[in-house]
Amino acid sequence: MSQSVGNKTEARKEYLLLMSTDNTDSILKLIAKGEDRAFNLLIEKYGNLVWSIGRKFLYKESDVEDAVQEVFIAIWKAAEKFDHTKASEVTFISMIARRRFIDYLRKVSKYRNLQSIDEDNGQELFKESILNESTDLQLIKDAIGTLEIEDQELLKLSIYQGYSHSEIAKLLNIPLGTVKTRIRRNLIKLKGLFDIKQQATVIELNNA
Amino acid sequence: MHNKEQIQLEKLLDLLILEASEKLSQQQREELNSLLDVFPEYTPDYFHKTTALAQVGFYLEDDFNNETLPLHIRKKILYRQKQELGQSTVFDYLNHFMRTLFYKPQYAWALTVLLTIGLSFSMIEFKNYESNYRYLPLKKIVMERTADDLIQYPWHSRTNDLGPVNGDIVWSDQEQKGFIQIAGLPMNNPNENQYQIWIIDPLKYGKPVDGGIFDVDRTDKAIIIPINPKLPISKAVGFAITLEQPGGVVVSSEPLLLTAPKERPQNTYPKVSI
Repeated sequence: MSQSVGNKTEARKEYLLLMSTDNTDSILKLIAKGEDRAFNLLIEKYGNLVWSIGRKFLYKESDVEDAVQEVFIAIWKAAEKFDHTKASEVTFISMIARRRFIDYLRKVSKYRNLQSIDEDNGQELFKESILNESTDLQLIKDAIGTLEIEDQELLKLSIYQGYSHSEIAKLLNIPLGTVKTRIRRNLIKLKGLFDIKQQATVIELNNA
Repeated sequence: MHNKEQIQLEKLLDLLILEASEKLSQQQREELNSLLDVFPEYTPDYFHKTTALAQVGFYLEDDFNNETLPLHIRKKILYRQKQELGQSTVFDYLNHFMRTLFYKPQYAWALTVLLTIGLSFSMIEFKNYESNYRYLPLKKIVMERTADDLIQYPWHSRTNDLGPVNGDIVWSDQEQKGFIQIAGLPMNNPNENQYQIWIIDPLKYGKPVDGGIFDVDRTDKAIIIPINPKLPISKAVGFAITLEQPGGVVVSSEPLLLTAPKERPQNTYPKVSI
């Protein structure tokens, strides 16, 4: 019980930490300006998130260790491309992290990596995204909350826990086609919610 | 939308979801590229932002998530950044090396094994009197000051072929070791011959005991050579040096070059019963 309370407290702290970004002076902006301590702050603030994502994607501890280092160096190199009017800091970081981990997964699985993060260099990642930093996280929490519990679990297994569709089918003992259909349907729904929010933000910005 | 088109679109969306969440095979990637040509309004990163945000959302909602970035990884990241900036120093490199060593158990074990082997060899080397030629003057002095049963004789030439030879020998039966100090012996070619030390211990052995081989590689000053008896010595009464084939011999038939003392003490010859 106390373990659970402790974990909840830690999770809350983590949440507040991630929500506390000031748009005008984000860590990525500080890195782009060449501030000495900014990279330390980046690791301090997003280290647990990136590590956690890596642990979900990669099984071997040594792979996670190597990949997490690559992720932070990639974020550091791409920092000057960050534009807070186009994407929130946490979105930017999470996207780079996921792409890197998936690339790494391909590498360790001996699959040829045709489009690595180096090629798109972060430029194309956020061309459609103009979500506002302060609303991004609340938006995704609300959006996930609109899904049915079973669908939330499916997405959680796929996106958060890193299970493949066929693994989920075996795990839940449901047909692979059903897994694909439900994940597709719910991701499209989430994307639709984001797109509506994106359009609203465009109007808001145009009226400002 | 035609049925075929609908099927193609669903396939494209499935592949785009896969692209955003797991690895695509070569075949899947080729199929994705051809479907993107059919539906140019879709891009390869169509679901990237959605999955990235969902990932963070699930992460924040996970009450049982207690993954913390390990401190040593944090330091490695900072080291990597310094490397990228070209600011890493030798100290940083050593720090990084040591951290890698101690956070990878297999490396630590490998180092332990290497150190153990190294230490063993060092001990063998230290114990191997014949090959241990380091600090000989100091060791000789220490033995001269500490051995209770030290014997010391000057060397005497036994052949006219040698020029003037100086030096002495010190030996302790208790410690089973000794040193010879010699100046004036001609240099030898180790490929052709080597000097050999002999220890006379008539109470225990009928023949002189091999005391080790040595080379003379300089004539400008005295050399110090450790004596390395191949058999335990009970009471050494005399020493000799011969020139033998490389590696030495068990029993010598070569003439004596040097002896110490000059003559073997009479009372050490076996008594002949009349």
